[in-house]
This record gives sequence, C-alpha cells and structure tokens, in this order.
Amino acid sequence: MKIIKQIGIVFSVCWLSVLVEKILPFAFPASVIGMILLFVCLVSGALKIEHIQEKADFLLENMAFFFIPAGVSIINYFDVLKSTWLQLIVICVISTVVTFAVTAWSVRLTVKLLAGRREKGGKPENE
Amino acid sequence: MSEIFETPYFGVALSVIAFWIGVKLNRKLKTPVCNPLIIAIVLVSAVLLIFRIPYESYDQGGEIINMFLAPATACLAVAVYTKLQILKEYALPIFVGCAAGSAASMGSVYLLCRLFGLDESLTVSLIPKSVTTPIAVSIAEPAGGMVPVTVVAVIFTGILGGIFAPLLIRIFRVSDPVAAGLAIGASSHAVGTSKAIELGEVEGAMSGLAIGICGIITVLFSMIVL
Repeated sequence: MKIIKQIGIVFSVCWLSVLVEKILPFAFPASVIGMILLFVCLVSGALKIEHIQEKADFLLENMAFFFIPAGVSIINYFDVLKSTWLQLIVICVISTVVTFAVTAWSVRLTVKLLAGRREKGGKPENE
Repeated sequence: MSEIFETPYFGVALSVIAFWIGVKLNRKLKTPVCNPLIIAIVLVSAVLLIFRIPYESYDQGGEIINMFLAPATACLAVAVYTKLQILKEYALPIFVGCAAGSAASMGSVYLLCRLFGLDESLTVSLIPKSVTTPIAVSIAEPAGGMVPVTVVAVIFTGILGGIFAPLLIRIFRVSDPVAAGLAIGASSHAVGTSKAIELGEVEGAMSGLAIGICGIITVLFSMIVL
C-alpha cells in the first residue's frame, strides 16, 4: 500500500501539472511544472520527503530506462542523420567545452566578487 | 506470425531486457562510453531492424514507458530538495553559474548550427542538449524539433562530460570544487554528475543541483528565443 500511495501522489502531481499547463497563457512544459509543484510542496511542508521517497528513488535511479523508446525512434530518422552526423558530433563537442568553461568561470567570478564585497564591508578603509 | 509483436508486452519486455544487458555491460567495463541507455537503444533498434518488426509494434509498449517520463522529471525536485542546505549556502554562485552556462550552451549550439547551415528543425533539436533528457525533450518537441535527435544529442553530450570532466578541470584550472561541480552539471547533466560524484562530495552535490536549475533556466530562455 505504501508504494501505491506514493505512486498516487507523484501521478496526482503530474496530473495537476497538466491542468496548470492548460490554464497558463504561455507554453511551459508540464513535466517542469510538475517538478516546481513538487518542490513547492516539499519546501512548504505540504508533502514530507517520506511520502514519496521510494517512488522518487525508483524513478530517479532508473531515469535512463524511460528514454529507451524515445531513443529507439531514431531509426525513423536515419535519412536526416546520414548527411549531418559529423556536424552534430562537432557541435556537441564544442558546445560542451564552451558550456563547461563559461559556467566554471562565471562561478569563480561570482565567488570572488562576493568575497571582495564581504572584505570591503569588513574593512571599508582599504578600498 | 507478426501478430505476436502486436501487444504492449513485447515493447516493454524488449526494453527491459536490453536495458538489463546495458547495465550489466556498463558495470563490467566501467567506462562512460558504455552508457546503459545507448547500449539499450542500439540493441532494441538492432532487434527491430534485423527481424523486420515495425516500429509501431514496438511503440505500443514504448508509449507505456514514455508515460513515466513526466513523473521522473517531477522527481528531480526531490533531488534538489535533499540539497536545499547547500543550495541556500551558495545561492548566488549557483544561479549565476547555471544562467551563464545555460546561455553559453544554447548560444554556442545556435551559432554552430548556423555556421554548418543546419535547418531549423535540427537546430531546435540541438539547442536544449545540455540539460537533462526529459526537460530537453519538452523544449524541443513543441518547438518543432526531432525528439530522437534531441535524446541522442543529450546522451552523447552527457557521455562527453563524463569522460572529459577531469581533463577539462585541468585545462581550465578549476580548483574550486563548487565551480567544478556546477560546470559538470551545467554542461553534461546526469551522466556527467555520476562522474562528479566520483570526484568528490561537493562536486557531486553541485552537479546534481545544476541539473534541475539549468533545466528550469533553459526552459525560461527557450520561451524567449524559440
């Protein structure tokens, strides 16, 4: 019964998020609405982590499995990929490196600025 | 003869067996190249092509598996919630890093697609490729992208991150574990995060947080540009 209840909670949140998606005046993916909804429920205390722990672990640990059908449908797109696969690989490689570098640098810069401000706040006569 | 494939059980069973083989191989070979999902996709595709089983027959089971994608995405909230403490502590660096990383990812993909002269549909399929698969798919699909191209690009990106994260940390001299973890999560989502967890506790937690936060930020950015 415990697992059934957890499945019920998670699926209810998903159903609710489809409802919210329909009401919203702009397009926003229901799955992400579900994520935000669940997060709000947890932070506000409406849901306790124990209420969904096992079901969440099951879904998160096996996340990759649920993408097999989406990936397999690539066999319907062989014609498109035959002429572009090399470009796609190059794009993935370059943009992954760029994303890594930009994220690392902007985090480093933010941490440095925060530390600098804290120092400035502590001893204002230095700057 | 072909009617034995005309049941949802066939697609589900084939997927489970293929994934089980993928996980086994991955454990044995211990390299991110042998990603269980990639192995499963190749195995299922091979079975369908070799035995000339129509994709539609497989998809009867596939649709049932697809139904779990939205609940799995929603549960990313649990992953973020369990790291709430560390999120509060580093709120600003996390948000700045994830926003900059998401913008860099989408911008660089867009520019490269233009450079290579790829069409609109392929471009849209690739733009969300640095975020976790369910969110990437929910961005690409309504915008006219090809879902399987998105899925494969996302997994490939994740594998790249998983393999090259330690090298990238050295090349860009990232000494701060917070910056390293966020960079891994922002550039290569869950597959990269499994590598980040090996590097250290802070790296793993930051990388895991970046998955959910970059996902939401990328959705917001794509609402503006797509």
